Parts: sequence; C-alpha cells; structure tokens
Amino acid sequence: MAAQSNMSILVVDDFSTMRRIIKGLLQDLGYSNVTEADDGLTALPLLKAGNFDFLITDWNMPGMPGVELLRQVRADERLSKMPVLMLTAEAKREQIIEAAQAGVSGYVIKPFTAAVLKEKIEKIFATKTQSAA
Amino acid sequence: MNAVQRGMACNAVLVQALNDALEQNDQAAFTLALYELNAAQNSSLMSGVRQVAGDLQAALEQFRIDSRLLDLAEREIPDARHRLAHVLKLTDEAAHRTMDLIDQSCPLLDAITHKAESLLCAGNASGGIRNESANEMALFADTALVNARSVRSMLTDVLLTQGYQDLSGQIIRSVMKLVGELELALNTLVRIGNLQTTTACQKPDISSHGYGPVIPGVHHGNTVGDQQDVDAMLSGLGM
Repeated sequence: MAAQSNMSILVVDDFSTMRRIIKGLLQDLGYSNVTEADDGLTALPLLKAGNFDFLITDWNMPGMPGVELLRQVRADERLSKMPVLMLTAEAKREQIIEAAQAGVSGYVIKPFTAAVLKEKIEKIFATKTQSAA
Repeated sequence: MNAVQRGMACNAVLVQALNDALEQNDQAAFTLALYELNAAQNSSLMSGVRQVAGDLQAALEQFRIDSRLLDLAEREIPDARHRLAHVLKLTDEAAHRTMDLIDQSCPLLDAITHKAESLLCAGNASGGIRNESANEMALFADTALVNARSVRSMLTDVLLTQGYQDLSGQIIRSVMKLVGELELALNTLVRIGNLQTTTACQKPDISSHGYGPVIPGVHHGNTVGDQQDVDAMLSGLGM
C-alpha cells in the first residue's frame, strides 16, 4: 500500500504543540485526515474503534508510553499490520533496539525536519508495498 | 563500674558456670548456663539498639529545629515546582500563539500565490505585444510568486521550531518530577522528626516511560547522536 493522501492517521503525543506541528506538516504533505490523542491510554481505544491506516506516536508519555502502545498494537490481530512511526526525543541505543524488537516501522528523533518526516513516511509505505507484492 | 564492665563481669560468671557444668557433665546446668549467656547477649544487643535509637532521636531533634530545611521542604521546593509549571504553561501558550499566527498567515500567502499564478497565466495566454504597464505587472506577479513561496517555506520552519516547547517541556517535567520527589523525601524526614515514625520513600520506576531529551553536559548513558545514527542502527538490525 502506497501512502494515500486520504489515509487516516492517528498522531499520539502528550504535548499539544507537538501534535499540532505534526498535524501541520502532514497537511503540508497532503495528508489532511489526521486525528490526535494525548497518550497510549486514549489512543488504544481510538485505534480499536476506528479505521486508522497509520500511527505516529511519541515514546515518553504519562499513562501508557509509546512503546507499550506499539506492543498493544502488534498484539491486536486487527491492528497488528498497521505501520507505526515512533517520533520521539528518546535517544538511547537500547530504546531503539527495544522499539525495533517491538515491531516499529520507523524511528525519528526529535528535533526533526519536515524532509525527514516525509522521507520516513514514504519509506514505510514503500516497504509495505514491496512486502504486499 | 560502668555498663560495659558490668556486662563483662556478668559474662565471666556465666562462662565459669558453663565450664563447671561441662566439667561435671551436668547437662541440665550446662543448658541453663547457655540459656542465661544467650539472654545476657540479647540484653546487651537491645541496649545497643536503644543507644542507636536515642542517638537517632537526638539527630532528628536537631534536624527538626533546622529552620532552613523546614523552609525548603514547606515553601521553597513547592514554589520551585510551581514556577517550573508556570514556565511550561507560558512556553505552551507562546508556541500555540505562534502557530495561530502561522495558521492565519498561510491562507493569505496562498491567496497571493494563486493570484500571481493566474496573472502570469493570463499574461502568457494573451500573447501579442504587452505594454510597459503589463510588463511591470508580470514582473510583480513573478516576484510575488517567488516571495510568497519563500515565506511559506519559512513559516513551515517556524512551525517546526515550535518543537522546542515539547523538548524543553519534557526536560522541565523531569526536573519537576525530581523536585517533587525531593519535596516528598524532605517532608517525610520532617514528619519523622516531629512524630518519631518511619515511612519509606519509594522512587517510582521511570525507565518504561522514557528518559526525555538528551541535555548537553548531562550524562545519559549510551545514546545516539542524530537521525543518521538511528538509521544506521535500524539498518544494522535488518530494518
């Protein structure tokens, strides 16, 4: 599946400023169907109830952190194939390994640029298309 | 004779009784002497514990009257926490205000871009010889188009720069958490000093919730340097 401009994206970050930045950048990239959640606990019911195509999540959040949300997504039969991009300031090598082992599709370190976000999204969906072919 | 000398004398008597019972092969007397020696040792241990408890109480009394520490626990540390929360709120409001202005500016720029594009298209479509005024208009439209696109790109950078609020906010939150734990620990100590009770102060496990952004000059363990490092690591992991 290539990245479609009408795909439904859930952005999860406890800082409203960061959610707004990501949403603004996604809109500039042509993705306008964006929903927000402020941590894993609020995101998970939305994911289970909704029909999202793509999840972008922070790691360090109160309630349920992003890596636990990722594990929950991978453990859910209906959500398990969903591409998940971790967009976080967490920079420890063991954390990146932990995220990779949990099944993350891409990992972007904050602060980031619009170009890096665009590149990672395109790469995730290009890989997904290749896997599906 | 002091307490230690009395204890030693008592022990010597009991050891002698133990020795006598052993020599006389008197099992009952031996057991009794052994029991008494053990009891004397326990009594000595309890006396030591009482001494330590007394010293601790004296130290806590000293602490209790230290007004500087009390002031820290009751006023300054809670104040520091509130100040940090206020900084967090101010930066959040400033970032949102900046993004509001960006949101209001973008449609204005887009309108200029569209108008300039349509003027240029109309000029090109008309063909023929254009007068000086039309040429100037085309030149203006061309400049407006380039400038509007450039300002739009800069506004995107301004939007991204507001990410400082997230990063600085995460750092402030971690310091607030530390200050909160310090406040709790100090309050517990103050309470012990006043009420002579002991309450354990447990530090919550934060590792699963993350460590926050890397701060220059602060040791964070084995971290990556930038996005290229992350990409290289993930590539090495077969991703």
